[in-house]
Amino acid sequence: MRVDPFYVTNLVGSLDQAQASEQQLTSELSSGVSVTSLSQNPVASGENVLLLNQIQQDDSFTQSSSQVTGQLQVADSALSSVVTELNTAISLATGANNGTMNSSDVKSVSNQISGILDEVQSLANTDYQGQYIFAGGQTSTAPFTTLPSESQAITIYNGDSGVNYLESPNGQKIQLNVPGNQIFMGSGSNSVFGALNSLVADYASGTVNTTQAVSDTNALSTALNYVSQQRVTLDNSITQITAASDAVTNVQTQLTTAQTDLMQADIPTVSTQLSLAETQQTALEDVIAQLNSTSNSLFSKIQA
Amino acid sequence: MGTINSAFSIMSGALDADQEALNVVANNVANANTPGYTNETPDWQQNQPLDVGGISVGQGVTETGSTSQRDRVLEAQLDQQQQLASASGSRLTSLNTLQALFTPDTGSSTSTAGDIGSDITKFFDSFSTLEAEPTNNADRQGVLSAAGTLAGDISNAAASLNSQRAALNQEAAGVTSQVNSLTSAIAQVNQQIMTTSPDADAGTLEDQRQEDISQLSQLIGINQITTENNGLAITTTSGQLLLSEGTSNQLTTGSVNGVTDFFLGGKDITSQLASGGGSLGGYLTARDQDIPSALNSLNQLAYSISTSVNTQNNAGTDLNGVTGTAANPLHIFNQPGEVAGSAVNMSVVMADPSQIAAAGARDGSGDNSNAVAMAALANQSIVNGQTPSDYYSNFVSTLGSTVSTVQTENTAQNAAVTQLQTQNNALSGVNLNDEASSMTTLERSYQAASQVFSMLNNIMNSALNLGEQTTVS
Repeated sequence: MRVDPFYVTNLVGSLDQAQASEQQLTSELSSGVSVTSLSQNPVASGENVLLLNQIQQDDSFTQSSSQVTGQLQVADSALSSVVTELNTAISLATGANNGTMNSSDVKSVSNQISGILDEVQSLANTDYQGQYIFAGGQTSTAPFTTLPSESQAITIYNGDSGVNYLESPNGQKIQLNVPGNQIFMGSGSNSVFGALNSLVADYASGTVNTTQAVSDTNALSTALNYVSQQRVTLDNSITQITAASDAVTNVQTQLTTAQTDLMQADIPTVSTQLSLAETQQTALEDVIAQLNSTSNSLFSKIQA
Repeated sequence: MGTINSAFSIMSGALDADQEALNVVANNVANANTPGYTNETPDWQQNQPLDVGGISVGQGVTETGSTSQRDRVLEAQLDQQQQLASASGSRLTSLNTLQALFTPDTGSSTSTAGDIGSDITKFFDSFSTLEAEPTNNADRQGVLSAAGTLAGDISNAAASLNSQRAALNQEAAGVTSQVNSLTSAIAQVNQQIMTTSPDADAGTLEDQRQEDISQLSQLIGINQITTENNGLAITTTSGQLLLSEGTSNQLTTGSVNGVTDFFLGGKDITSQLASGGGSLGGYLTARDQDIPSALNSLNQLAYSISTSVNTQNNAGTDLNGVTGTAANPLHIFNQPGEVAGSAVNMSVVMADPSQIAAAGARDGSGDNSNAVAMAALANQSIVNGQTPSDYYSNFVSTLGSTVSTVQTENTAQNAAVTQLQTQNNALSGVNLNDEASSMTTLERSYQAASQVFSMLNNIMNSALNLGEQTTVS
């Protein structure tokens, strides 16, 4: 049987392949990445896009949640101060209502409650990085202003009822703010500013209409309870965000592991493959050298 | 009855024949590395024996020339396989350049540049960041810069695809002149073969024709049809006549819809050539199928993201309290009119970050409901019924699978070519060991013939001197 006299060409082809595979393996080792082109592993390439998408979404949510946690904590501590102020106002009013104070003391109570009113208003106008946090969506203007009036002052709300939510990667909506009108201007006896303004007016003259004053003091107590209830919403949000952020960080860790498994080179395997390819190359080179040696040609054996 | 003279004549014939045969061997050895050369073997013919007085007397040998060791079926098979291999080879080269534009993102911070998948995520994530602080100018700037990166990477990729397509177009057009010069050359050789060797192998002429056909089949897909008098007709794979015997039809090119089309006898055969094989087939498949398909996907992605994001931004209120209208829309991206061309034209038209409408319609500037809605677009089926990331993920895995399939095809076809090549070389290649052995045999036979010749000379001496030993020597 005749054989292909150009077998060395084929061997050189194999040698090229061995070298190409060494090159590929070396680049995998040096970069640590196993999928360097789409065609190397189309499925992994597609999966990789989705994994990275989720990882980056999670990363972004973790960053956002630490930002909003700061804002929620500022709001919570403002409301905590409001509660303290309101408790002071209630005990002042209760003292004035029991009929033992003289006229100038009653007037002084009126002034003190008026001071508390200013303090509460300033707390309700708390801003975080220049944005008023109890203004609903109208965060660029201070939400509460008090207008003087003949009988009693009126505090008005300039904000709106807008509520912001932060959406977590799995679609959970976490409330970021409680609009000021809901906290401080609740309808009827829930209105903090209504009750405070009434009390200031009740004690302003120095004489106390006990029935009216007691009713207004009770209204302030109700309003205080209402503020505490609203504060729970914010506390819940802080808890939810911490929990969501922790959960997302866990998921992110898992996804990153999955992504690494998918795309990173398995060093021991690649090293073994590289060593095999090198052995093959050496073997091929030896074979070519042997076959190509001139002493293998019949012509060299012919005596002249 | 044979005579000493006739023995002389037999021996001189043998010496001539051996010399002729040694010539053939020398020619083989000389052409051992000539491309397309087919190994030749000497043809020996026994001379017609003489019938003398009822006894048949052998008259020696004549060398009547040489025969090329050729298997036409094998050669045609090799050409056929060569067409497929070079088609997938040139397509693979184009696809490799194409897929290099979409190298997988490894996820490490240093390798994310230029990856459209990450760009998409980062763009929509910038709205998630804005959710937390809708009035923050740095976050707003972040949205515009992420939008700029996304638009830039998509439009760069599309521009690269367009220029790849233009380069392929030129390469394809360049093949035409090579094809034409080969078909004319084959037609010429055809004519010579038909004149000089109508009913036998034409030796080196045939080698030349076969070499030209082999080159031609690397360029385009062809069919060979043997005609009368050892002639040949060649058609494209789909049956258009390229040459018949002594005449060849020229392939011409013309510009149709911005790309080069190929004509034969006034008929546009571009699509047939694309599926026909050869490197031209590969170029055309990449030019008319692979690149347009990638470009379409990018266009669809760019169009859907641009229009959805623009629409959503238009539906909200920006930091200045402005809500977009039909006359004065709040557009982040250049609003595309149609899907075609969306990718290459994708750009950010918004310069002022305060125009990002994070707040809902008629809401205060501190509202974030529209930012939430824009971030949520990332998980909505806005691109052909898929989320942007899903769409891009499908695009890269489809592209990767196509490249991988063509790669496998090409490897298999090259293996088949190698196998056929080996078979063909085994038959038609010059094996130097065989030649060495033939040469030795012929040398021996020449030596033997000379010996016999000198013996005959002695015998003739004896005959001439009639027993006297010294007169003639």
